Amino acid sequence: MTQYRHSRRSFLKQTALGTTALAIAPSLVMGTRAALAAKLSLENVHVEAAQRAKELTGGKPVTLTILEPSGSLGNIKPVADKWKADTGIDIQYVEVPLDQINQKVLLEAVSKSGSFDIALPASFGIPDLVTSGILVNLDELAEKYEPEGYQKDYLYTIANYYKGSLYGYETDGDAYVMFYLKDWLDDPEENKKFADKHGYKLKVPDTWEELDAMMAFFHRPDKNRFGGALYRTQFFIAWEWWVRFHAKGHYPFDDDMKPQINSDAGVKALEELIAASKFLYPGARSNGLFENFEAFGQGDKFCNIGWGGTQKFLNSNKSKIKGKMAYGPMPGGIVKGELLKTPYFNWGWNYVVSSVSKQPEIAYLFTLYACSPTMSTMAVRDVDGYFDPFRQVHYKDPQIIQNYSAPFLAVHEQAMRDSIPDLYLRGQGEYFDVLRVNVQAADVGEKKPKEALDEVASKWETITRRMGKQSQVVQWRFLKSNYPQGIRGRLV
Amino acid sequence: MVEQARSPAAPRFVMRRAYRTFVPFNVAIALPAQLTVLTVVLVPTLIVAWLSLTDWQPTQGIPWYQAEFVWFWNYYDLFHDARFVAAVVRTLLVVTGCMTVEFLLAMGLALLFLDDWAWRKIAVSIIIMPMMIVPVDAANAFFMLFNDRGPINYLISIIIGRPFEFAWLADPNWALLPIMLSEIWQWTPLMFLLVLTGLMNLPENQIRAAYVLGASRTRIFLRVMLPLLMPVIIIALLVRSIETFKIFDPVYILTRGGPGAATETISMFMYNGAFVYFRIGYIAAAALMILIVVVAICFTLSRPLKRHHR
Amino acid sequence: MFGEDKAWARCLKRTAVCIAIVIAFFPIFWLISTSFKPIDEWQKFPPVWISSQPTLQNYRIVFAPKAAQEFAAKQQGAIGYKVSGSAWKAFGDSAVVATAATVLSVLFGTLAAYSIVRFHTGGDSYPFQFLMVRIFPPIAVVVPMVILFSMLRLSDTYFGLILAYTAFTLPFSIWMIRSFIEEVPEELEGAALIYGMRPLQAFLKVTFPLIRGGVLATALFVFILNWSEFLFALTLTTGHVVTVTLQVANYVSASSGKLYGVQAAMGTVSTLPVIFFGYIIQRHLVRGLSFGAIKR
Repeated sequence: MTQYRHSRRSFLKQTALGTTALAIAPSLVMGTRAALAAKLSLENVHVEAAQRAKELTGGKPVTLTILEPSGSLGNIKPVADKWKADTGIDIQYVEVPLDQINQKVLLEAVSKSGSFDIALPASFGIPDLVTSGILVNLDELAEKYEPEGYQKDYLYTIANYYKGSLYGYETDGDAYVMFYLKDWLDDPEENKKFADKHGYKLKVPDTWEELDAMMAFFHRPDKNRFGGALYRTQFFIAWEWWVRFHAKGHYPFDDDMKPQINSDAGVKALEELIAASKFLYPGARSNGLFENFEAFGQGDKFCNIGWGGTQKFLNSNKSKIKGKMAYGPMPGGIVKGELLKTPYFNWGWNYVVSSVSKQPEIAYLFTLYACSPTMSTMAVRDVDGYFDPFRQVHYKDPQIIQNYSAPFLAVHEQAMRDSIPDLYLRGQGEYFDVLRVNVQAADVGEKKPKEALDEVASKWETITRRMGKQSQVVQWRFLKSNYPQGIRGRLV
Repeated sequence: MVEQARSPAAPRFVMRRAYRTFVPFNVAIALPAQLTVLTVVLVPTLIVAWLSLTDWQPTQGIPWYQAEFVWFWNYYDLFHDARFVAAVVRTLLVVTGCMTVEFLLAMGLALLFLDDWAWRKIAVSIIIMPMMIVPVDAANAFFMLFNDRGPINYLISIIIGRPFEFAWLADPNWALLPIMLSEIWQWTPLMFLLVLTGLMNLPENQIRAAYVLGASRTRIFLRVMLPLLMPVIIIALLVRSIETFKIFDPVYILTRGGPGAATETISMFMYNGAFVYFRIGYIAAAALMILIVVVAICFTLSRPLKRHHR
Repeated sequence: MFGEDKAWARCLKRTAVCIAIVIAFFPIFWLISTSFKPIDEWQKFPPVWISSQPTLQNYRIVFAPKAAQEFAAKQQGAIGYKVSGSAWKAFGDSAVVATAATVLSVLFGTLAAYSIVRFHTGGDSYPFQFLMVRIFPPIAVVVPMVILFSMLRLSDTYFGLILAYTAFTLPFSIWMIRSFIEEVPEELEGAALIYGMRPLQAFLKVTFPLIRGGVLATALFVFILNWSEFLFALTLTTGHVVTVTLQVANYVSASSGKLYGVQAAMGTVSTLPVIFFGYIIQRHLVRGLSFGAIKR
């Protein structure tokens, strides 16, 4: 009896195994083929992404909600409308003021209300959002859908990743660019005077020393001419210091997350920044973005610092200097005898998917769609939006060339390629807040530069400790390894 | 908390229950209000007390009830936090400043409106209009007024005879002024109404008598009217102080507490700490401290008020 | 009261009153005036007091964005701001939240006030417990409320906001209505009781009609508070519910910065209900804002 049962059981087991094997095997083969087939093709990624999304809806009406910063609708709506036409999926918008969007996404991590599927936070806030758990880790979905070479013609992708995983696609080209008045640079008399004084002719400056010298040279307030329209308000002053510091050839932290910003290089960078403040126009300490555009557009200040948005204004009919500008990347410094240029990517917007969303896969497909070469070009074309060019194809589009002007785009593209990233660490807001407050205190004379930077360094150590040093070190080393190739080896 | 006390001496109609209910009737009808307040005020306060002992931040990736305890270190850090102390001091400054100006203006105006004259009613209606503007819109209006190329600077440059393009809201020393002016502009009419009501309710006989007896107007005002007006003044000052202490809308709209932290009041400090830096545990400690202090002050003040009200 | 003023004193008084009126009205005037200005006049220097080319474009952007875009396409220099939706949603949301919160607040408040006045529920200090709610700085309570609401699935919902508003206006409701009820002698209800009415019936049939005006005034007063509320709306919502106080900050353009004219238009219209109701209950404002302590 037992023998019979045993053998029957084993027979059944064997047949079961056999049938399952037979069942699995083809599906394994089919599965891999299907998986391979699922990866979209690069040329038609937008068409195929739309197709896939449509399939996923299964015929049911689906709505995606996007949390976007006020004013960016010009970039998103054309793409979203086309998406609706291609897939039948409706897009709804939730607008929040642009300085609040990161906080709203982080608030969602606490409140989990599910009020948006996709969001457009500023890139520097991504680490905080990742650690709070509100962003979907897109590695799996990218593995499934992202075509080969999708990110290849992206000029800046550092913000897309945190500790090696993908969390969102960059959708804005916020590389810092310098603007100069061409007439002043080319003027032969000025050139002679300057060359006599400094030994080289006027040109788009390569280093901060040259820029500071030129600003000092052109600063003639009695004749209503000013050296620079740079910013000395809190947010901007920290950014300028950040570039000046990197241009001296150093990372802000060493490999163990010990701050290096209060080294001699850091102090010197701050001292030079403070010295340059003398040659700025009177509104430098109080003007915001649009006041700066208008002020520089008057044509009586030598240089300005800004982004693509600045150029869109200066290249429009509202500015008096349309077509009269020369452009340059961020000035660099001489490190070990050679010129080191350190363009800087600050701000930026990333499309991310909320972990509370009920349809993360469809949401991901939308972000893939929106950042595809064809669709993103359509988005960047609109003048009334924040998105600046970020893919190589953008620079060839006639409308975009008309918006920004070709000489600007040439400099912008180069800057995007070699940009050093922002401080993509958890607690970025806190790190930079301490930096901001102290750099400005030094600038107005409340603190000595060394004192200010020492305070920043000690506060940074406290913040790192609070955030968990081990975890921060992992991300910092990952970030370091992502610095542009030409710069990585030259910073210490 | 819930009893059916009977006032001892005075005979009253006794409300007797005509039927038995599970919960006393008077308690039952007060329950909805009580429960709402419990849910929205008491439970959050308990959560704040818990959070204040932790260092929870949403970016830690763990739910709040699993946060690590740091016990009283948050309170220690707060006492040594220059920014927090500055916020408290600044708020007290704003409250005293606004109260003084509001009171003096309100008193002065109320005295002007004491007598009846032709278009008095219309004048009162216009003067109380600022009270009836949504505070956010009033703050936006002041933002536009204090623009460095706005009407206020224009008027000043006319008065002093040379161009005046001062960026009020970007100057750490002066940015508090537009905020205080916005608050004063909006709420002086309220003080004015309260003081005016008080003045109109004053017993005329005493004042007439003093006048007839030859006392000067100033003397009558200081020695007769003011003391009689004291209860109204105290209530008005108390109510407005409490509301000004909580000031948030003008600060948020005009400066966000900036430049830097130069105009941070307590509410702004807590908002920035909790919703910009998301240091929830730390701010919970600040919140609890403020709550305890405010409640303590009100307890000490409430006894004389209760006596007055009975 | 003091006898006749001398002529110069009267003149001085009139001037002072005139100055006060001008100061009171000026910011409001500026808001309204800016709402009719075209974009190039918003930050002109010297400032434009009354626009020489008034336009309705700002209002169009607020209420009829499509019409605004068509107008901008036809008219050179008019702003064609792309907005995701009109402000009708904001007005709708504000109306829903404010009305519901007002109804609840007045309902609960009346019942509680009745209980406190006639039954002396909770003793002497009970009403002051409600007053304490008003003394709490809302920001101190908002932080845990976000957490509490997320656990109760109330984040960014109408009901959550309504609940918060109700709780924070209950002190006003209770104290105001309490002062109205106290003015009605208890004997009236006592008489009704003798006729066999139950206590609540007696209250509703006898006292309530007498305080109806006061209850209405309280309701309008609470509505004004709810409509103007900002902090809770800012922190307890993440975009699904938008009130008028939040919508104003959304009028920012990528190419022109803050849209002052549009914000002014939104501000003007959103303030109208408050002005309207405020003037209706003008007589009761004193009582309300002093928690019933000061009456005419």
